[in-house]
Amino acid sequence: MKTQGSRLPRWLRSEHPFPWLFPVTSLLIVFGLYPVLYSLWLSFYKRNPATRKETFLPSHNWSKLISDDRVWDAVQVTFSYACIALILQLVLGMLIALLLDSDKKGFGILRALMTLPLVVPPAVTGMMFLLMYDSSFGVISNALYSLNLLSPDAPILGTGSTALWGVIIADVWQWTPFMVLIMLAGLRALPKEPFEAASIDGATAVQSFFHLTLPMMSKIIALAVLIRGIDLFRVYDYVKVMTDSGPGTATETLTAYAGTVYFKSANFAYASTVALATLILVLVTATLFIKIFKVRF
Amino acid sequence: MNGFAAKNVLRYVLSITIVCIFIFPIAWFALTSIKPVSAVFNKDEVVVFDFKPTFENYQVTVLGGKKADTESGSSIGMGTSGSGAYDGRGSIVSSLIVAISSTFMATLISLLAAYALSRLNFRGSQGYMQWILSQRFLPPIAIIIPLVFIFRDLGLRDTHFGLVIAHTLINIPIALLILKSFFDDVPIEIDQAAMIDGATRFQCFYMVVVPMIKGGIAATAVLCFIFSWTEFLLSLFLTSSIRTIPVKITTFVTSTGSEWGYISALGTAAIVPGFIFILLVQNHLVRGLTMGAVKD
Repeated sequence: MKTQGSRLPRWLRSEHPFPWLFPVTSLLIVFGLYPVLYSLWLSFYKRNPATRKETFLPSHNWSKLISDDRVWDAVQVTFSYACIALILQLVLGMLIALLLDSDKKGFGILRALMTLPLVVPPAVTGMMFLLMYDSSFGVISNALYSLNLLSPDAPILGTGSTALWGVIIADVWQWTPFMVLIMLAGLRALPKEPFEAASIDGATAVQSFFHLTLPMMSKIIALAVLIRGIDLFRVYDYVKVMTDSGPGTATETLTAYAGTVYFKSANFAYASTVALATLILVLVTATLFIKIFKVRF
Repeated sequence: MNGFAAKNVLRYVLSITIVCIFIFPIAWFALTSIKPVSAVFNKDEVVVFDFKPTFENYQVTVLGGKKADTESGSSIGMGTSGSGAYDGRGSIVSSLIVAISSTFMATLISLLAAYALSRLNFRGSQGYMQWILSQRFLPPIAIIIPLVFIFRDLGLRDTHFGLVIAHTLINIPIALLILKSFFDDVPIEIDQAAMIDGATRFQCFYMVVVPMIKGGIAATAVLCFIFSWTEFLLSLFLTSSIRTIPVKITTFVTSTGSEWGYISALGTAAIVPGFIFILLVQNHLVRGLTMGAVKD
């Protein structure tokens, strides 16, 4: 059987990983790794807005980044957004999973319906909430008016103090089902015996949740937090569609700021620098998290 | 026993209420899409069901029909740019081409790599997996600006093929990790038996192992389709005349106002494929969303 294969050099034969990995590797290098290096190279150039010429000056953009208040504001917004959304999604996800974890009739359908928000394009989600937040005919705004919780003078997305919450709610709506699904998988995989033993010993449901369920699910919770957290750190779609970083820069995340620099001032060198700052933030946070919580794929 | 029943009823009521809250935004959006303009933009009260349903919004955005000028009296940006700007047919076609092609490409080449990572023990396979994982966590913004230049130089900017490559790129890490977990489920003895019977490694791959994980491959493909279908940032940066639906829909928000009827019609139409697909892959959804780390 070896007659056909033996004419090929060893690294082209199907026992060697090279032919298997070549398509994926080449695509990821050309369109994934090379652009990051290109970005780094771009960030070393200073752009002169008048002449539109670029000169090599590695320190320029990076020192500008450090002293740029908008960057630090954006870092703060990014962290606030990611942490608030993550905590809400985690807590809600766990509670809803506990509620829906039942074999009784109808719960299967409820669990399936719960996954639907996941497939709505985030840009469309942004539109859905824009419609509901509209200060004159939005259904959420009007409900809040009638409860005296909101005044028409301070629309949700047009007011600095509430705009970020408005965007976060859209994110929470879309991604809580992700947490629900993962928590449900975790709950289903739990062994029955420890819980039976605990209830014989007189433990309440709350006690066995905190002393049995949570510790036994710590691995899967860490994994869910990692995946979701990384997506939250690079959030763009909701911010771009719903507020376009506004009002002012109240909802400007790092990715959104990089986008603004790219689209509005066409300073590609500096936009790349801000984008790389996002990459560094995500990498450092994710690496620390993986090390501390020992997440494994 | 009575308390037990009450507890059950409470659980049902609470569960249904919560699911309804999560379905509400979609239902409201879909409802808006069949409302006449006067009902959408009613400033005096929020119109819920008290309107005459119309499919005009779908006719304009999905079928490319002309806007009948019967609803005069609305002040929102009518007639300024004509209804041609709201014709979403091109974007539906673009979204379909890009999603189907990138799903096919990502699944096919990831299948090869996933098999090698699952079966061929080679030096550096752990490191390779880590690299793939880091690609999944790479913020798209970090590669998009150079990608615009690279695509411009290669003539790929604002083309379907360019967008297919970009979407393939983001789908590869996900597809690879999920497919590897499916390959890992197949006992290695199967490969050994096939090769003792004289099959080459590649024959063993496509004649024996791949058919065994058909369901997993289908689930992976569905997830890739959904990720491409919903993708926004890359499409926004890399195209200007070819618009996928998520980007096209944002152009319906203009400085003179938002065309909520058209937005909700095209938006609702854009959700439908995802709904059908996600209900088909419920069994593998958790594995897909955690990239193979949690098996269901």
